[in-house]
Amino acid sequence: MADILAFVLAGGRVDELSVLTFDRPKSALPFAGNYRVIDFALSNLMHARIRRVGILSQYRSASLITHIGTGSSWDMAGRRRQVTLLPPSTGQKNSDWYKGTADAVAHNLDFIYENSPDLVLILSGDHIYRMDYQRLIQFHQKQKADVTAGFIKVLPQESHRFGLGVMEPKEGRPGGRLISYQEKPSAPQSEWASLTIYLFRTEVLLEILKQTHPHSEGIEFGRDIFPSMVHQYRVFGYTFSGYWGYTRTLDEYWRTHMDLFGAGTKINLKQWQIRTNLEHERIQERQPAVIGPDADLDQVLLTYGCRVEGTVKRSILFPGVQVEEGAVVEDSILFFDTVVETGALVKKTITDNGVRIGEKARIGDGDKILANQTLPQPLSSGLTVIGRNTHLPSRIRVGGNCILYPFLEENSFESMEIPSGATVS
Amino acid sequence: MSNTLVMLLAGGEGSRLNVLVQARAKPAVPFGGIYRIIDFTLSNIMNSGMERVGVLTQYKPLSLMSHVGSGKAWDFEGRNRGIKILPPHTGEKDSDWYKGTADALRQNMEYLNRYDPEEILIVSGDHIYYMDYTPMIAFHKRNRADFTVAMMEVPREQMINFGTAQVDGQGRIKGWEEKPKEPKGTLASLGIYIFRRPYLLKVLQDPKPMDFGRDLIPSVIKKDRVFAYPFSGYWRDVGTLSFYYEAHLDLLNSRSGLNPEAWGVQTNLEEEGLRGDRPAVILQKNARVVRSFLSADSIIEGRVEGSVLSPGVRVGKGAQVLNSILMHDCQVSAGAYLDRVIVDKKVCIGRQAHITGQADCPNREFPGQLKEGLTLIGKGASIPPKIKIQGNTIIYPSVEEGDFKSLQVSEGETVRKR
Repeated sequence: MADILAFVLAGGRVDELSVLTFDRPKSALPFAGNYRVIDFALSNLMHARIRRVGILSQYRSASLITHIGTGSSWDMAGRRRQVTLLPPSTGQKNSDWYKGTADAVAHNLDFIYENSPDLVLILSGDHIYRMDYQRLIQFHQKQKADVTAGFIKVLPQESHRFGLGVMEPKEGRPGGRLISYQEKPSAPQSEWASLTIYLFRTEVLLEILKQTHPHSEGIEFGRDIFPSMVHQYRVFGYTFSGYWGYTRTLDEYWRTHMDLFGAGTKINLKQWQIRTNLEHERIQERQPAVIGPDADLDQVLLTYGCRVEGTVKRSILFPGVQVEEGAVVEDSILFFDTVVETGALVKKTITDNGVRIGEKARIGDGDKILANQTLPQPLSSGLTVIGRNTHLPSRIRVGGNCILYPFLEENSFESMEIPSGATVS
Repeated sequence: MSNTLVMLLAGGEGSRLNVLVQARAKPAVPFGGIYRIIDFTLSNIMNSGMERVGVLTQYKPLSLMSHVGSGKAWDFEGRNRGIKILPPHTGEKDSDWYKGTADALRQNMEYLNRYDPEEILIVSGDHIYYMDYTPMIAFHKRNRADFTVAMMEVPREQMINFGTAQVDGQGRIKGWEEKPKEPKGTLASLGIYIFRRPYLLKVLQDPKPMDFGRDLIPSVIKKDRVFAYPFSGYWRDVGTLSFYYEAHLDLLNSRSGLNPEAWGVQTNLEEEGLRGDRPAVILQKNARVVRSFLSADSIIEGRVEGSVLSPGVRVGKGAQVLNSILMHDCQVSAGAYLDRVIVDKKVCIGRQAHITGQADCPNREFPGQLKEGLTLIGKGASIPPKIKIQGNTIIYPSVEEGDFKSLQVSEGETVRKR
């Protein structure tokens, strides 16, 4: 079996996720009650028995550091098993922040030399999926590829948002040789979108990183390396047909969560065997969920430490969420320890950790839905987002597409009527 | 204070729990969805700031040992902290099973001599309660006691199960009766003792007393300083099926005083390898859940009411689970009906099976153990579809569909493997 080193790109703060990434990188975003988004990549690595992993992170890593811990949750602690957080560092030559995906890897060449693997697998840590990387590796070796990238079929109308690859006919194989690659082209020529999963022969990776000189915007594998690489190397595309959930924007993140429900559930957490660090946010210290005598629950995911006395429909409740008597929660994602007080109504809302919604408040409710004033593109479907530890006074009304900043106190609201599309900071 | 050494007596067989203790000791019996009975005591020890624990095992210790593991779940892992499993052993003189609480300690003198704490706390792993042991130690010291016994008031009719004391105005024990038929008082011993270490070592040199309650206390109260520490609060013996069941109902009653998370009760979720892999609970469309306790990894498509579910339970479409306790990885198939049933791990209930606990006659084989209208299903049993099972019945572990003589099990029957 080939000796493999993996890098997980943990990502940073993104405008499209607004207040949810104010104090955590996007890979540390909570998902499906017990998990963080990065758990999916780490669990896939664990199942593929790839146990030497570097996590590239430079943005607000505290949450990520706590979450990764010793790595033992993913069986990555041991004599020849390790997970290492690789923050940017100053050195003899390098003293810069990471500028792009390839630049982040280029800053950690010593980590590659130290481990001297045969192959380097580079992943991004912000997708919801289950993939057997060993099949990708087998394909790569069988094709004697220099580099193999993962691709998935997307709808033609969405393809312009992705890096697109044109492949030789697959002829029954799980992929084919890559003829061309273009990053977010205005005139798409392919329906195969990059999954930002790259498997390199180590020598080729080192060679490429030496050849490529960073420019002011940094170096990205997709934008700066792949388009020209296809001409000089054996570059292959490996096609993936399973579920692939995005979490890049608030709406995407919300929609991916809703894929947890329904018949033939697309996200099969049980089958995927995703592991997490139960010590983070004290998940393992919490008791089973308590469902009260008047509770009414329909299509709900809930977990340890929740207490539900009211009505909850099509929603995800993270550990410690309390929904009091007469409260109604619909189409919402409530992070750790959110409290919805008696008689409050919460519709299509994401609340970050520790949010408290006062009695009889009405959130995400309103007729005229305007796009958010600061984030019109990603926030136009009516979703309202409330930052960590913000406390909403009782009887306040907050419309759809609103963004409420973290740590707002009950008395920091000037008006008891926050119109649709407003941002309160 | 924090150097108090704790000896946890976890050897209890708990035979009245019937098939629940067929392959595990009483302290290892699952409780409250994700816990085992011993978690309450282990967590009390941790929350009282005590860091060294010896766990005395005897009866079927395997599941207990894997549960305790390294002790990490209760923060017993570290430089000056630790938890040790102390199995029975043969020695120069001793080659017997423990003959009581005092005997159990006497056979572990080596461990007792290894450390030099001022006090030794002796507890058992059989009860559901929250107690901070530090005020009891302060009480013990203030009274310059040789040893102190934690006691609480219990209903007179339950006194037959306990040791009881007569105390003076200072709390000093003046009289003692062990499991009295006609008790003089209602102050019951909880089996929690704090000893001055030199005193304990001295009394253990005498080979006669085998049990603290039965032998030691009555023989020393005249001359030594033995005190009763008054405890009040939630404390339950779960050593019978009906007590065990009722304590589960307390979990569903917000005023019962039983509240594991508020008590800081910890468990080992990583035990059995992959517990950490379990995702959240999903309630599908048309699920109806009220007044219940739900752990991780359950998928519910039917009705659940007044019940406690451990991780990994499936409740199929149209199935009804009422007033029941379902342990890990049970499957209740579509259309099945359960009312007042205690179901051990990995049981599969066939489609449209109808199982009730309610009955007038007690179980014929175990009339003393199962008479309150409950049905008990042992670990790994498979219950055939469309069967009707009446109350106070016991289905043994690993029973398969072919072991049932017919699709009707009447009141008070016991079904074993053929």
